[in-house]
Amino acid sequence: MLNNEIFIHLSFAGGLIFIVWVTAMIIVRMERSKQLQATIDKLKKTLDEMDEQAKLIVRTDMELNKTQEELDKKMTGLYALQRLSSAISTTLEEEQIFKMIDPNYLEELNFEKSCALLWNERLKAFQIQLSVGYSEEATGKIKSAPGLGEIGETLLKGEHTFSSASLQHNDGLKNKIQSIFKTSFFVLSPIMPKEGSRGFIFVGTDNPEALINEGDEELITILANQLGQALENARLFEKTWRAQHDLEKKVEERTKELTSALNEVKMISKRKTDFISAVSHELRTPLTSVKGYAAILLSGKLGDIPSEIRERLEKINRHSDELVHMVNDLLDIARIEANRMTMNKENLDLKAALDGIMDLLSGQFKEKQINFNAEIPQDANKIFADRSQISRVFINLFGNALKFTPAQGTISVRAHKTDGFVQIDVSDTGCGIPEEAREAIFEEFYRVDNSINQEVKGTGLGLSLVKHIVEAHNGKIWVKSKVGSGSTFSFTIPQTG
Amino acid sequence: MEISIGVSIEKDPASAAREALKEAIKNLSSDSKISLAIAFSSIDLAGTAILKTIGDSLANTPVIGCSGAAVISNKGIFKHGLALMLLCCPKGTSLNAASASEIKSKSSLEAGRELGEKLLSGFKDTRRDLSIVFSDGLIEDSSGLIHGLEEKLGMSFPTIGCAASDNLNFLRTYLFLNQNLLADSAVGVLLGGGKLHFSMGIRHGWKPLGKPREVTFSKGNLVLEIDGQSAAKIYEEYLARKITELKKELKNFSILYPLGIYLPGEDEYLLRNIISIEHNGALRFQGDVPQGSQVRLMIGTRTSCLIAAKEAAEEAKAGLFNPYLNNRSPKKYFVLLFDSIFRNLLLSREANKELEIIKKVFGQDIPIIGLYTYGEYAPLKALNYRGKIYAHNQGVAMLAIGE
Repeated sequence: MLNNEIFIHLSFAGGLIFIVWVTAMIIVRMERSKQLQATIDKLKKTLDEMDEQAKLIVRTDMELNKTQEELDKKMTGLYALQRLSSAISTTLEEEQIFKMIDPNYLEELNFEKSCALLWNERLKAFQIQLSVGYSEEATGKIKSAPGLGEIGETLLKGEHTFSSASLQHNDGLKNKIQSIFKTSFFVLSPIMPKEGSRGFIFVGTDNPEALINEGDEELITILANQLGQALENARLFEKTWRAQHDLEKKVEERTKELTSALNEVKMISKRKTDFISAVSHELRTPLTSVKGYAAILLSGKLGDIPSEIRERLEKINRHSDELVHMVNDLLDIARIEANRMTMNKENLDLKAALDGIMDLLSGQFKEKQINFNAEIPQDANKIFADRSQISRVFINLFGNALKFTPAQGTISVRAHKTDGFVQIDVSDTGCGIPEEAREAIFEEFYRVDNSINQEVKGTGLGLSLVKHIVEAHNGKIWVKSKVGSGSTFSFTIPQTG
Repeated sequence: MEISIGVSIEKDPASAAREALKEAIKNLSSDSKISLAIAFSSIDLAGTAILKTIGDSLANTPVIGCSGAAVISNKGIFKHGLALMLLCCPKGTSLNAASASEIKSKSSLEAGRELGEKLLSGFKDTRRDLSIVFSDGLIEDSSGLIHGLEEKLGMSFPTIGCAASDNLNFLRTYLFLNQNLLADSAVGVLLGGGKLHFSMGIRHGWKPLGKPREVTFSKGNLVLEIDGQSAAKIYEEYLARKITELKKELKNFSILYPLGIYLPGEDEYLLRNIISIEHNGALRFQGDVPQGSQVRLMIGTRTSCLIAAKEAAEEAKAGLFNPYLNNRSPKKYFVLLFDSIFRNLLLSREANKELEIIKKVFGQDIPIIGLYTYGEYAPLKALNYRGKIYAHNQGVAMLAIGE
């Protein structure tokens, strides 16, 4: 009984303990579950927060992508533009400029269609210079589209670029452009070179992804400016080239005229020479007879002659001599001009040649009381010339000097070496030659109009002959003179053959 | 085995074909027999003229290929061009090229089955190794095509390929089979005989972002609900845009932030681009999104894209030289490259870098031919090539194949 009671008590206690334990366990579990729930809630919250962050990331990424896309587009555009610009600048021919636009570069700018037009003043219409992405038929339709002129005028008047994006509020113009160029999205920019005809460039695409914006307008404006610049350069080049070409043509024409005039002069000169030569020959024979008969009469072989007649006969004789002299000079000039006179050139000693001449002329020097001096340095003493002809040069020059130099005057000869030649200066202290006559004195039959010439006779052939002889030696002759002080005749003769 | 590539950027299709052929044939030995020609062309050249020129020159050699937004070779990326690869397979190699047309009217699944069956014909006693498949880039249910193909060729049969593309106008894409220019079709070639060694690699480089979500209601490539809400809501929330705005910017954000499907055991999520937003807020994707799958919004950067290309190339190369997979290293090999055009858009000016990275992995002399696509077909577990084939978006897939 007691055991039974004890058992009941113990069972009760055990049950109580079990209940307490179960209760405690439940409480612990509940607590854990609560904690878990809290953790789950926390994790969920974190996940939600992270999802919110993800949304922020996506939105930021979208912005970044948009910016990067724009940047990429611009970079690609700039590269394409740079290549286009350098292609355009490689030519200076107007017709070639538009051919340099490679459709691939335009495609890199995201445009598959393009047209460039320039105003043609003669046809009073815009002419197509470039057509990309259009068939021949389509290009023809654009060219003859009625609104094309108006679009061009609007562009050139406004002087700025517009696009399908910037024309959003001008549906009329936008629709017109779309219908003429058969393209939904476009940019148009005026081409305005400073000189010559102007025009515009059209670029377009039907790709809605292209999203034309201000950046495209800027790029096409730069391209249009480059085209304008290239046209301007080409036109300036063309102008310069044409001017040069005209000039060359004119020079050529003038040269032709001058050559023909020269030939005429040469022909006339030859005729004159031939004429003089012929006349001189014809004159010499009767002159010889005149002089012969005068001499016979003067010799008295045909009987005595009264002094009056003698006097006249002597005049005839003297004038005949002068005439013979003159005819000989003329013949020499004619021969030299016609290259018929042979120069027997040899190495000569200038001093010796001068001494020989002075032997002949010393009487005249003395008679007119003229001083003579010569300065021939050793290095200028050798000349290569025809002995007798060079003597004629000196005789003529000294003769002239003697004629125009008053008493007590001086005639001097100086020589010096110059570039393979010897320059010989014959100076006098005579009356000098007026400036206007200095060139002409070397012409045949020219005589300076002065009192001495009126008194002293001369043929007017001496200096001309001298000039011919010097030139036949490849030398030159010129004169320096001061009226009242004297003249210096200078000529050059080669030193060696 | 001999491999030779010819590329032309001539504007006239026939001239381009002649030039590419001339260059490719020049590098082959005179007695070599060309087993297969693979041609990729930009949309402006895609036409019967190139196929006729190639066909006339190569007589009975099978020709397959498709159009792309740009073609790729060792020489670079060409927006306008033709890339042609001539392949002389080792003796004992079998191959069969085929096509399935009118996909829209008969369903992608049916077309896949038809293509599989046609490819198998003539392969009864020959070991089958690999199939290369190109499909019209504008068909919406490309996964169906893969499923149909798998039904006939085998569930994990190695297959690689792409959806053809045009110049992002989404108007028309073309497939090439011999002298036939096809649209609304799929073409493929089945290679067998056990002589070829190959390996594949595919990566995209996009990373998951935000909370994991569950597709609670979907039919094929149409997702109606995510987490019990209209599918478009996820984009409305993340991008802070209304549906009307989303529709306008669809192409842009679909590339930047595609949906990623979590695949257990895989390194990367399977990407899905949105094709359209329906009026009820449902999203239509380029490829299946199974109901119950866990999805996340994905985000990619240029750097992550370039790293992914390197990883894909390394994976393909490692597989080819792995002694457990291929009993000997190939003497010669080439690379077929299928690169998503959307990667090109994202990489923009750095698109060339991706090709350079791939070339660096394989070696500058390894012939590469490829194109930009609207989708890529490849197994995800590429290393052991026993993986299931998926229709990928925004990936860069490559097949390294040699003797």
